[in-house]
Amino acid sequence: MLLRDAFCTATRSLMQRKMRSVLTMLGIVIGIASVITIMSLGNSAQDYILGQVQSFGTDIISINPGAPTSGPPAAVQGIIITTLNARDVASLKQEPSIVSVAARVSGQATASYGTVERSIIWHAFSPVGFHMFNMELSQGAPFTDADAGAYRKVIILGSQVAKDLFGSVNPVGKQVRLDDATFRVVGVFAPKGAGVFSFDNYIVMPLSVGQKQMLGIDYYHELSVQFDSRYDSTFVKNRIASILRQNHHIRSADKEDFMITSMEEALNIVTSITSALTWFLAAIATISLIVGGIGIMNIMLVSVTERTREIGLRKAVGATEWDILQQFLIESIFLTLVGGLIGIIFGGTLVGLAYVLVTRFAAVDWVFTFPPAAVALALIVSTASGLIFGLYPARQASRKNPIDALRYE
Amino acid sequence: MIEVHNLEKEYVDEEMPTRALRGVTFSIAKGEFVSIMGPSGSGKSTLLQILSFLDRPTGGAYTFQNKSIDDMSDQELAHVRNKDMGFVFQSFNLLSRMSVYDNVEIPLLYSTIPPQKRQSLVGEAVRSVGLEEKLYVEAGKLSGGQKQRVAIARALVADPNVLFADEPTGNLDSASGLQIMEILEKLHEKGRTIILVTHETQTAEFANRIIRVRDGMIESDVLVTRTAHTRPVVLK
Repeated sequence: MLLRDAFCTATRSLMQRKMRSVLTMLGIVIGIASVITIMSLGNSAQDYILGQVQSFGTDIISINPGAPTSGPPAAVQGIIITTLNARDVASLKQEPSIVSVAARVSGQATASYGTVERSIIWHAFSPVGFHMFNMELSQGAPFTDADAGAYRKVIILGSQVAKDLFGSVNPVGKQVRLDDATFRVVGVFAPKGAGVFSFDNYIVMPLSVGQKQMLGIDYYHELSVQFDSRYDSTFVKNRIASILRQNHHIRSADKEDFMITSMEEALNIVTSITSALTWFLAAIATISLIVGGIGIMNIMLVSVTERTREIGLRKAVGATEWDILQQFLIESIFLTLVGGLIGIIFGGTLVGLAYVLVTRFAAVDWVFTFPPAAVALALIVSTASGLIFGLYPARQASRKNPIDALRYE
Repeated sequence: MIEVHNLEKEYVDEEMPTRALRGVTFSIAKGEFVSIMGPSGSGKSTLLQILSFLDRPTGGAYTFQNKSIDDMSDQELAHVRNKDMGFVFQSFNLLSRMSVYDNVEIPLLYSTIPPQKRQSLVGEAVRSVGLEEKLYVEAGKLSGGQKQRVAIARALVADPNVLFADEPTGNLDSASGLQIMEILEKLHEKGRTIILVTHETQTAEFANRIIRVRDGMIESDVLVTRTAHTRPVVLK
């Protein structure tokens, strides 16, 4: 039997049972659509996060207090470590491979303007941080070293905070209360949308004000270092470690009370986490593909039983076992392949919908990707599932005895 | 053309062997019209299944066109069934949701005949049974007699040397049955070898030779001579 004839015979059989064919392929459609959507969204999210991280520049190294750990930094776990201080900042500034150092402290407060109140997180750092973190203002101007030196209570509002407290009123020059202290708004950050490095929901103030007046501490929560791009990040990390060990009187590396992370490492971590998450979710979505495949096997077995006399007839007039096997395999592969194609289109539509929702309603500037690898994988997987789940019913059909098959009622 | 010698067929069902054929011997020459008759359970259908390569004997020898069935693989048997044999069944065995054309074309799908030649062969076969106007009608919508004519067209389309008909009038009224037998008679007159299984005497008498089978053995093997005015009428 020619492959063309086998294909025509198979498709004709499927067309005669349109509703059943459509329902049978539904499982594959949903499975493929899920895989496509998850992989596409995963890739888009990864690109977005990497883009955000990279927007800070890959020449940034952050230093957190606490011993190096594979888990989250000590500060995140609520452990207060007081080892990073002004002396460290001064020493690091002396290092030739380092361009600038920005110390940071953070806290939580209730911000109020008139009758409007909201709980916010504030960050305090030296003005060099504006440049280091590519922070742009939509209104007003950043505070200066002079403001920090004079302990001026000035703040810059995140775009969302400004909107929440002031609505459409221009907040620059207005007075805002943070707990019991009154601050003057000097600027508003340009909106960045939702994201890991967005300051939309934060307030930023001079380091001296945050550290001494708001918290009353003499240590820092984090140091950010921008290094000279002519140097290798590993070299700079070693230099930082050496300086801090000396300052903290640490003799061996395993006793270190600080953790140094370069942006390059952060990128790798983000990539590995988002990739692992994407593949994990895709693996879960694959379960629906398997369920769809079993559905196809079930329906194909029913079809083989229903068409026993047809099989008997075909064998009587000259069809070989291979001809019958081929016909039923083509039917199952056709079902899964068409299901896969519909799934890709359906998945693409879902991704498009997610794009509209995220960009329009969440104001996130995502660039959605539709990875060709996911499409290729979907086609391969759907074809393979047709082959795997269609093989057993096809074998059953091809092995039927023509006499018994012709007598089947 | 067909030679069987001491043919045996034994079925083992629930460990009780049943001998369906017990040493059947005969030969059929090219162009003969043979009726195999016998009561229910006599072994006539088993004999037809073996003659038509749908089953293998458990003993004896069967030679078809000088080739022994024992020397042929299942694939070769399928090839011979496709090329040299045509089948007409009591229950038509048409694919009811497919058109007359698609039904008749089925044997050609498994042949080496190129697709471009198939259309004319199908048209010719359907014309030979007088159903050219029903070519694209769904087989399920035809009457019983028309269905059997489609089945005959399907059996003829690959131009086989032998036509096997298993109770072809069994599911038809007498008028339709007569039509079918007249078609088979014409095919025989054109030189086609026809082997018919029936339990109806009048149907069997369309043949020029009647082999009677009883208890798996040949009871009689007689030639029928008849003139036009003694032509049998199928009655039900």
